[in-house]
Amino acid sequence: MRHRRGMAFAAAVLSSALVLAGCARDTGTPAAGGDAAGTECARNAAPAAAGGAAAPSAAPIAPNADASALRVGLAFDVGGRGDQSFNDSAYAGLERAVAELGLVQDNTREVAAATGESEDARVSRLRQLATEGFSPVVAVGFAYSESLTTVAAEFPDTQFAIVDSVVDLPNVTSLTFAAEQGSFLVGAAAAMRTTSCQIGFVGGVEVPLIQAFEAGFVQGAKAVAPDVEVDVDYISPAGDFSGFNDPARGTEVARGQLDSGADVVYHAAGGSGQGVFEAVAAATTAEAPKYAIGVDSDQFNTVAAPTNEVIMTSMLKRVDVAVFNFINAVAAGDTSVLPQTFDLSVDGVGYSTTGGGVDDLVADLDAYKAAIINGDITVSSTP
Amino acid sequence: MTTLTRARAGFGTLPGWARSAIVVAVGVGLLAVTATLTGQIQLTSSGTTQAAVRLLLPILFAALGGLWAERAGVINIGLEGMMILGTWGAAWAGYQWGPYAAVVGGLVFGVLGGLLHAVATVSFGVNHIVSGVAITLLGLGVTKYLSTLLFLPVSGNPRQSPRVEGFETFSVQPLADALAAVEAQQRVVLSDVAGLLGGLLSGLTPLVVLGFVLVPASYLLLWRTSFGLRLRSCGENPVAAESLGVQVYLYKYIALIVSGALAGLGGAALTLNPGQLGYLEGQTGGRGYIGLAAMIFGNWRPGGLLAGSALFGYVDGVQLRAGGEAVHALLYGASILAVGLAVLWVLQRRWQTAAIALVAGAAVYAVYFSTETVPREFASYAPQIVTLLVLAVASQRLRPPAAIGMEYRRGEGD
Repeated sequence: MRHRRGMAFAAAVLSSALVLAGCARDTGTPAAGGDAAGTECARNAAPAAAGGAAAPSAAPIAPNADASALRVGLAFDVGGRGDQSFNDSAYAGLERAVAELGLVQDNTREVAAATGESEDARVSRLRQLATEGFSPVVAVGFAYSESLTTVAAEFPDTQFAIVDSVVDLPNVTSLTFAAEQGSFLVGAAAAMRTTSCQIGFVGGVEVPLIQAFEAGFVQGAKAVAPDVEVDVDYISPAGDFSGFNDPARGTEVARGQLDSGADVVYHAAGGSGQGVFEAVAAATTAEAPKYAIGVDSDQFNTVAAPTNEVIMTSMLKRVDVAVFNFINAVAAGDTSVLPQTFDLSVDGVGYSTTGGGVDDLVADLDAYKAAIINGDITVSSTP
Repeated sequence: MTTLTRARAGFGTLPGWARSAIVVAVGVGLLAVTATLTGQIQLTSSGTTQAAVRLLLPILFAALGGLWAERAGVINIGLEGMMILGTWGAAWAGYQWGPYAAVVGGLVFGVLGGLLHAVATVSFGVNHIVSGVAITLLGLGVTKYLSTLLFLPVSGNPRQSPRVEGFETFSVQPLADALAAVEAQQRVVLSDVAGLLGGLLSGLTPLVVLGFVLVPASYLLLWRTSFGLRLRSCGENPVAAESLGVQVYLYKYIALIVSGALAGLGGAALTLNPGQLGYLEGQTGGRGYIGLAAMIFGNWRPGGLLAGSALFGYVDGVQLRAGGEAVHALLYGASILAVGLAVLWVLQRRWQTAAIALVAGAAVYAVYFSTETVPREFASYAPQIVTLLVLAVASQRLRPPAAIGMEYRRGEGD
């Protein structure tokens, strides 16, 4: 009796297994590599360049002043010199001031920050620079927002500046960037380049600062190809800043996007971006090339050799331009000439052409750039 | 005696491997059904399995390190620090002499951390937590100093090492290709199993194999040899062990050295991760602590910690690759599981438990039905939540080694 029941059970299991094995899903077959005959992306024509000015070059914000009397202090964010990103970029601005404005090298001072340091450490660093008579003092990075609010109130006669954040005090200049405008241009480039009509965005941490990159990227892509699908993923949620420094998880996010069919991936994920580049480099083949887009600095120059070949362009955030112009404005005695945000019109943001990845797109991209500058296109900073 | 109670008694008396096999089979079946009914094929794709393996590997090594230390009675909260030392050692050796040297470098640096923990806690009787925290802080500081000293001139960046050459990956052929072919056909259940299995059999590195071999190896060494019995007796009752002639100090030193070596291997696994290939300051990101948690929820057992880290790696892989929609689909799977358990418990006449499971299943299904996707904030913490829930339900009777964290002096039992 028991035997027979067991046999019947086994038969039922086996036959249902056979039935299942014969069933094939019609949906969701993954786009396994080289899907060149994939969906055709309808693309809009680039806006007609207004007044024929295809590549508007930014006019200097103010004439060069004499900065030989200034003593400039630079407080770096975590990473400091050698981060190949905005700390180095800030230093490049200082160097340009030395070269062009007669600033004396001995009258400058740079101080670095440490990982995971306390608020007190930042306060005392800024206070030390101010006490020693440095003015202006440039705080690089939004991590200084609170400490600068404290210290700037203590030293009303010292000029301060903060990069990437807004501190509302009379002696503080806030150097912020229209990241959404630069991201719009690389989003447009991605939509022009994609063959699968699907592109990806990898954000480090889901905070408003990074969401501006996402917003610009999506708007730029949709402006070129309204049907383009944009995968948006963040490595960690707001409050957990590990997403800027976890390439192992960044690479999985990018692999997921590539496996689901995206062929251009833009990252705004700081140190995790390396993982994105590695994922793209691993997925790219001669018949189905994949591309990555860097951020902040020209990452074709900063990423090591074989991997950087997949970087078609980078969204540039010109901290050097901001720092140089700030020093120039302080030397001239009038910081009110500085723009509210450093945007495309003053070359505060832009895209890189190193490596030749976007050489064939430059004309169209410059047309979009002109349209943004003269106001035909407004780019929102929220997704 | 009904067939069912007999079946239940039968499950209880089955050997451990058979029980695990049944649990794994149920899990795979559940994922296959969920993937089919929700259309989220990423749940069972080989890419997801590979991502899970890459993500779980450092956690698995750290958890094994925790197992060795805690089985000998020493709390090892310094795993994170030993792992940080391991990442640095692996990068330093790796960029000069290749990936195998990286593994050895990570191991050696991890051992240094383990040895320090042994000297502090075993020889000098320092509180285990204090020593562990100190080692983590020391790991951070030492690697920062060494990176500025040795990596800065080469890589031009004090926070990063030069690029390390990674392992070549390999696959078990022709099985992996056959499974990939089955997966591509998208056959119900069959392709899901092929995807999950195929991911495990392709893209392997020697380090992955080492990690998976070390789980049964640790079990055999610790539970099936007299060496292991002596080591574990130091964690249960060191005074009694001493009275039987076990050199408790020696065994604790050995356990901590192995523990440090394993944590160092976890660091090497991070350094050789294809996404980074080198040292990056802060790259461990608390994985040492997650490994420790996986070990605790795995009830201080090798199989349990493997399940804990695999679950964590899998859910993390799913949410990173496919985002909120895939985690949303997992809710569907969870409601099926809850209803299945409820039916099982009804048959066993455990009415109250069954009712709770049914209500929970209905609630989860309601959430699934009324939403399109789960918010990204929730999806990012899904690995922690799922691991916590599953292991909390599965292992309600956690039993740490009896003499864990206690200070032991030779001859104190006299």
